[in-house]
Amino acid sequence: MNILVCIKQVPDMEAKFAVAANGVWYDPTDLAWRMNEYDEYGVEQAVQLKEQVAGSDVTVLCIGTDKAKEIMKKALAMGCDRGVHVADDEVFSREPYEIAAIIAEFARDKGFDLVITGMQSQDRGSAQVGLLVAEMLDLPGISTVVGCSLDGDGLALSRELEGGVRAKVRVNLPALFTCQLGLNKPRYPTLPNIMKAKKKELITIAVADLLKVAGRQATTALFVPQKKGGGLVLEGDPAELADKLIGILKEKTTVLS
Amino acid sequence: MEFTRELYWNVGHGIATLVPMYLLAFAAVALLVRGFIKRRATYLRAAPIDRVDQPLVRLTGALGDMLSQRQVSRVLWPGLAHAALFWGFFLLLVGTTLVFIQADFTDPLFGWVFLTGNFYKLFSVTLDLAGAAAIVALALFMIRRYLMPPEGLPVSRDYLIMHLLLLVILITGFVIEGARMAVTELGRPVAAWSPVGLLFANVLVDMGEPALRNLHRGLWWFHFFCVLGFFIIIPYTKFRHIFTTSANYFFSDRGPTGKLASLDLEDEEREQFGATQVADLSWKDIFDGDACTLCKRCQDRCPAFATGKPLSPMKVVNQIQETAFAAPDDNLIEVVSRDVLWACTTCRACQEICPAAIEHVGKIVEMRRALVLMEGEFPDEATMAAMEQTEVNGNPLGSGFAARGDWAEGLPVKDASAGEAVDIIYFVGCYGSFDKRNIKVARSFVTLCEAAGVSVGIMGKQEKCCGEPMRKMGNEYLFQTLAMEMVELLNGSGCDTIVTTCPHCFTTLNKDYRDFGLTPKVVSAPVFLQELLNQGSLPVQPHPFTCTYHDSCYLGRHNDIYTPPRALIEAAGGTIVEMDKSGSESFCCGGGGGRIMAEENIGSRINNTRVAMAVATGAPVLAASCPFCLTMFEDGTKTVETASPPVPQDIIELLAERLKTAEA
Repeated sequence: MNILVCIKQVPDMEAKFAVAANGVWYDPTDLAWRMNEYDEYGVEQAVQLKEQVAGSDVTVLCIGTDKAKEIMKKALAMGCDRGVHVADDEVFSREPYEIAAIIAEFARDKGFDLVITGMQSQDRGSAQVGLLVAEMLDLPGISTVVGCSLDGDGLALSRELEGGVRAKVRVNLPALFTCQLGLNKPRYPTLPNIMKAKKKELITIAVADLLKVAGRQATTALFVPQKKGGGLVLEGDPAELADKLIGILKEKTTVLS
Repeated sequence: MEFTRELYWNVGHGIATLVPMYLLAFAAVALLVRGFIKRRATYLRAAPIDRVDQPLVRLTGALGDMLSQRQVSRVLWPGLAHAALFWGFFLLLVGTTLVFIQADFTDPLFGWVFLTGNFYKLFSVTLDLAGAAAIVALALFMIRRYLMPPEGLPVSRDYLIMHLLLLVILITGFVIEGARMAVTELGRPVAAWSPVGLLFANVLVDMGEPALRNLHRGLWWFHFFCVLGFFIIIPYTKFRHIFTTSANYFFSDRGPTGKLASLDLEDEEREQFGATQVADLSWKDIFDGDACTLCKRCQDRCPAFATGKPLSPMKVVNQIQETAFAAPDDNLIEVVSRDVLWACTTCRACQEICPAAIEHVGKIVEMRRALVLMEGEFPDEATMAAMEQTEVNGNPLGSGFAARGDWAEGLPVKDASAGEAVDIIYFVGCYGSFDKRNIKVARSFVTLCEAAGVSVGIMGKQEKCCGEPMRKMGNEYLFQTLAMEMVELLNGSGCDTIVTTCPHCFTTLNKDYRDFGLTPKVVSAPVFLQELLNQGSLPVQPHPFTCTYHDSCYLGRHNDIYTPPRALIEAAGGTIVEMDKSGSESFCCGGGGGRIMAEENIGSRINNTRVAMAVATGAPVLAASCPFCLTMFEDGTKTVETASPPVPQDIIELLAERLKTAEA
């Protein structure tokens, strides 16, 4: 199976964020960087599939500055076979359509059986890139995947819907899916694999070679919303309160799913 | 020539006695040596480690440990019994050697007889008392093991054979002596110098000389064969500890105490990290098992064992030895089991008490290294998350790295990373930097320094975790990454003194970081503050209070710092009510060995067990000197079942509250 897994480097969400001088994105000063959490599930799933299907090959792709190579090394240490770094210092100003176009342009003639992306990025959170890539490559696109197993020539996938409901989807390859949190347990790279990763192929392509479209939307302002009163006070008799609470937990969280 | 005796009386000193005696003795010794040589082959299959450097220092240390019996005597009564047995047999060995030297060497060759006169009196009475002491000790051994065995002490046929054999050798020795004395010494002054033999002689005398001579000759050979049997079985029974434990004193870890061996991660040829099989450990790790006497003192003190976790340090040591001899290719981690390996808090209680100088902790960490570095395994998801947080933010708590210096807001600390000149660099540690409770301690420390006129620099957001919990948990790669970065940072600061309030940071910087080239002096806060106090530069106004003090494993057993924290408490006006387990016998809080990052799901909680010990003292304050302990006790005092749980406080806070300048 020839797999492409797309990852993004994002700031750690514990960091102190400040709006950048340009007013449309955050200031990168004092941020710690890591692999987008949704993408970690993608890398793990790609490597698991590779382990299950003999002769598989996993390419990891990342669009970003030179610093983004840090997370590519981790992906290679987790078990990806080769890395493609699309060098782009302007990555933070790209809208999802452009990002998707870059990935699609790269993937078009490579014969990938499967493309995996995170459901969304932790910083921009548009949740568009994966499905746009599927559309551009004319692949079936399945979003919010929380379960994945081989099923004959295709894949049996499990999707998470609102309110904790699940859906089962079967798809023939080639296909694309986006990963929701909890899809698997991303592995911790072993030391021999970290060593091997240093010798794996990691090529860099200039973004200009792959970006053939123009952006169609632009962020005009980034700001911290005004703090509103926190908390929600429920009132009524205990039985009613319990029902209300269960309703909220079901709707807003996954603790009961 | 009144005070002497005829050597080889009644058995003869001719060829008919000497030739078979010496041939058999040589054969027995040869079998003994062969038994150990066979064991040596197994030791040598494991990895090399240099434990013969500074041989003279090692030899004197080993002889001192062996002859003084000081290690075994740390547990008083069984220890003294062992010492009595040891000294008894040791003197009997010396006596027998003197007989050999005179009878078969100095007398026939030079006509020199020294077992006579006053020296004979000393010789005779000493050996009699030595034999008696050994019999009493053996009796105590047997009563303890077979009649009233403490929980966990192994009882098996092997021990019975060993005890009975020694007892038979000792008793037949006295019967032989009694028979000889009944014929040759009764009624003469010399008899008084063999008091135990005299007792036997008086019992035996009525048998008459012919029967006594037959009894004597027969038992003499029987006694001799028993001794040969003893020699022969030494390598195959726990008797081997006579040699292996003594040798283990020679091969012991010469420190620094608690410092782990650094793995060479640069070696690209290397395919194995940590220990998956016996061959991945060192020969000393197998030899330790041979030196173990199953005294279970380690197990008695293990906080994991005491709280129902499957870890027994004694069992681990012996499993390694058994695997080495029986199935060296087996996967050691499967043999020992993951739950056992993850349970260790590296508190060193086992190593501290071990009378055989066995190193338990390093073995466990080596196997953890294999789990983490070779398999990417951790005790739980919380630990793995903490590792990843440390990679990203430089701390296991997951706080944003840029806020690391925020705790010091409003305090007179300087940015040492910018090269400002300061008296000390305060290496704050992750808990002091980010944990709400421990930030109070960090702030108190700076307040104390300020009052003493000491200028403090911190590294702010450039400081990262020292890597101690990660290293103890087996993540050597992450530890070394952090260590190299911190060493470069600290060496580059230009300040020659680093002070830590966290004992884990202290031990790591002061010992482990030396492998990576750290040059400044590292001082723990209690020692540093005690110095300030002694110089008179710390204006503390004592205010009476009562507390109990918990010796943290890493100040105490790992670094022998027991008195400075107590001196600080006294200076603050405190009276200490010690817990049952204190000083070098202190009971871990449960947070060491990287366990601070992990969930504790097996057995009862170690912190609660320790808090219950503090509650038992009745002291209203539980003084601690480590951020992990403080955190564990803050949790433990909330769940302990008592009306008024003690209030956990760091001794630095207790001192800072009593500063003369402080408004209180």
